[in-house]
Parts: sequence; C-alpha cells; structure tokens
Amino acid sequence: MRKRHKLLKNTFALASVMTLISAWWGVTSLGLVRPLILPSPAEVGLGLVDIWHGYLGVPFMNHFKASLSVMILGYLSAAVVGVSIGIGMAWIPSVDRLLSPLVSAIRPIPPPAWIPLTILWFGIDLTAKVFIVFVAAVVPCLLNSYQGIKSVPVDLLNAGRSLGATRKVLLMEIVVPAALPVILGGLRIALGTAWATIVAAELVVSLAGFGFLIMNGYRNLESNIVFCGMLAVAITGFLMNFLFLRLSQKLVPWMPSEK
Amino acid sequence: MSQTKLGERNDLVYEDVCMDFDSAAGVIRALDPFSFHIQGNEFIVIVGPSGCGKTTLLHITSGLTAPTSGQVLLGGEKIVEPGPDKAIVFQNFSLFPWKSVYDNIEFGLRINGVPLADRQRLVVNAIQLIGLDGFEKHFPRQLSGGMQQRVAIARSFVMQPQILLMDEPFAALDAQNRQLMQEELVRIWQTQKPTVLFITHSVEEAVFLADRIIVMSRRPGRIKEILRPRDFMGELTSHWRTLPYDDVIRRIDFQELRAQVWRLVKSEIGDRH
Repeated sequence: MRKRHKLLKNTFALASVMTLISAWWGVTSLGLVRPLILPSPAEVGLGLVDIWHGYLGVPFMNHFKASLSVMILGYLSAAVVGVSIGIGMAWIPSVDRLLSPLVSAIRPIPPPAWIPLTILWFGIDLTAKVFIVFVAAVVPCLLNSYQGIKSVPVDLLNAGRSLGATRKVLLMEIVVPAALPVILGGLRIALGTAWATIVAAELVVSLAGFGFLIMNGYRNLESNIVFCGMLAVAITGFLMNFLFLRLSQKLVPWMPSEK
Repeated sequence: MSQTKLGERNDLVYEDVCMDFDSAAGVIRALDPFSFHIQGNEFIVIVGPSGCGKTTLLHITSGLTAPTSGQVLLGGEKIVEPGPDKAIVFQNFSLFPWKSVYDNIEFGLRINGVPLADRQRLVVNAIQLIGLDGFEKHFPRQLSGGMQQRVAIARSFVMQPQILLMDEPFAALDAQNRQLMQEELVRIWQTQKPTVLFITHSVEEAVFLADRIIVMSRRPGRIKEILRPRDFMGELTSHWRTLPYDDVIRRIDFQELRAQVWRLVKSEIGDRH
C-alpha cells in the first residue's frame, strides 16, 4: 500500500517536471520568445558543457570549491556559535538579559544588507565571504536553539528533577535532547539562508563561485550561462538540504521521519 | 518490627501548609492552611473539582514547589527539593521520547550513581514486573498509552521511592486500559508499598484504590472530608483493591461508598453554578 502510494507520488512529480520542460522546449523552438529572454534547453546544455570546461577560463570545479568552502566555514562556525549562545541565553537568565538587546538589534537586518559593510571591512577575499555566511546563518541557529530550549515541556523538566537530575544533567540529558528537533530545524533554515546569501554576495563582488558565474553570463548577455549558474545553485542547494535531512534523521531517530 | 520502622520512614506530615499564587488579579489562594498526617505505606487518593489545588498539593509534596507558608515532613525531614525519594507519575506519561524503554527506566539509577551491574538487574526486573519484556529497545512513541504509563511507573518504582505521587495517571487512557492499569498498579505497588498520593477525577478509581479518600473543596482548596473505604468493606479480610475490579464494582458496599463520595464531590462542583 505504501509502495503504491510512493509510486503514485513519483509519477505526479515526474509529470509536472516533464510538463514544464516540454513547455519550455515548445516555446523556444517555436521562436515565441527571444533567446536572450529564454534560451532553449539545447543552448543551456551547451552552456553546461562550456562551464564544465571552463567558462572565461575558470573550470567548473573552481566555482564549486569557491562557493562550497565559504559555505562550510561560515555555516559551521555559525552553527557552533549560534547554537551555543542560543542555549546559553535560554538556560542562564543573566546571559539572556545581557545578550538579548544585541540579538534584537541584529535580528531585523536581512543578511544581504551586510554585504557592502563586509566588503568595506574585509575586502573581497575568503574572510569577507565567510563572515557574510556566518552573519546570515547565525541568527536562525540562535533563535531556534533559544526557542527550542524554552519550549521543552515543563513536565519533562519536572520528571528529570524528581528523578534526581542536577542542573547540569538536566541540561545535557533532558533539555538539549528535547530541544534537538527544533535546534535542527533552525540549522536547516540557516543552511538555506546562508546559501542564498553567499550567492547574493558573489553576485555583488567576486572572482569565482556560482554567483560570479551567473553575473558574468548576465554581463555578456549569455542568458544560457545565467540559467546554468542558477541550475548549479539549485542542485547544490537541493543536495545540501538532502544531506542535512539524512544526517538529522540519524541524530533524532526517535522522531517520525519527515518527507 | 521492620514494618513499623519502614512506616515511620515513609510518614508524610503537613504542618500548616498554605499556598498563594500571584496573578494579574492579585493574590489567589490555592490552598487554605491545613495540617494532615499520612501514615507510611498508606494509599491516599485525592478527589475534588478542577482547580481545587490537587496538583499544587502534589507539587508541594514533591519539592518542586515551595509552599507559601508551613512545611511538609517526609520521615521527619523537611522537604526542600525534588528527588528520587519522591517519585512522580504524570498524566501525560512524560517519558523521555529520545530514550528507549530501557534507557528511560535506567536514567534515574544512572544519574544517581548506581553501579552498572545493579542497574541492569534492577531495570530487567522492572521491565519484567510491568510485563514489557521484548520492548526494551522501543521508543515511547512506538508504544500504546497504557504501555507508556507502565514504563513511567517502572521508571518511578525502580528508584524505590518513599512516596509515589501520581497526578491523574490514568486519565489519558481509555476505559479498558484504565481498569487494567488500576489492577496492575496495585500489583506493582504491593512489591514495595511506598506511600502513595494519587490524584484522580474518577470517584470509582478512588473508591477502588484508596486506604483513605480525601475529598477537597473548590478553591481555595480545603480538606472537606476524609473517608476510609475499609470501613465499608464488611466481611472482607483484605482490601478490595486486591480483588478483580469487575467483581468489586458489583458489590453493594462499593456502590454505596461510590455514591457517597460522588455526592460530596458533586456538591462542590454544583455550588459554583
């Protein structure tokens, strides 16, 4: 029964994607729109080959490495810092009082708004981009960790205390595991935000990376390259999210799996 | 001899205990000052209308909440903080969802430094006692409500508490499970006989289980009446809770007591309207 359900779902998914691609192919091959506005699937395919071998002299893997190394460094440091501060604020009232004004001040600034200032501070090298990813990712990590800890059911705390848990045991063995699904939710949001922000930063100023690729295609009026860059961003983003979900299912085996 | 000693150790004494809460509308009195003595190994069931301070009383006894004034003594010692000598079983089970059945029951022993070998023996015994052999590795989510509450009871009993505090433990179960669990609880309780403070909305449950039934008034909570089911059992040599539930509820004396308790509870609910 479940197998049949899955088959049905896959059929629908395939149908919707195929419809979109055939519409795209139909519209472009009939010449209904100019190639600059919408390149044909074939042109995008050629663009992919072009990029793989090195569009404007930069091989594809260099773009990939450029975007991904920034992503990993910035995201991981944001995860460590954001989750620790979020937990610290939720668990220790004085830390909350000390840091919540700062968090409230930074929170409403959309991550891309940091880009110009960061370039002024750090230039356009790795540090600058890592910083931007960090700023983008740290806020959702922190907020969700805080929220997750604060929303641990009071009965679980009472159960722990009545079984003799000290404050440290309570935090490590009850509060953090109970909040883990919400914390992971924050890490997942942060992954998306960080990825969006790094691409935005590369659009503004960069020497490599997917954003750079998209922007160069735009400047040279090669919309098929723009499409290829976007496709690469989408696929990489999808894979990161997929890996993250797989990993978090390992971390919270007691939760019903998410589809 | 040892029985008497054990009893004294588990005696629960309330001395002028009173509880007020601050709220937007001012100070609300949850419990009027009261004094009360519970014998060690007694099975006390508390009934009363919603909001009469039953749960507050339970929290004060557990040490989770400090009373506004007065004190509670357990075996002569003032209760100042929660701990494994005062186990709680919650209405919503409150098992740790990320721990297996085995790990849930082992948790209290482990954090209190019980050696591994003893832990294993105690947990295996507890799992046998509640009849969940084979479910050691299951997560709580994979169990029925009744099974989850068995695990919660085992998690408490494995600590060999002096008092067991139960806050409407079977209210979330369906009628059949509830009845089974009442019989089960009596069986498990008899292996250790801690002092029990059991809160319920079910008059029938109270009459079946209790050594003494405490009927509380509506807010501010006061002890309205105390009844001893033993006084109603006529020719029975042992408490009717050890007999099959179905047989007991058909007894005339059981039904009379049930009606009497219900009238007391109802008058407290009815007065409100």
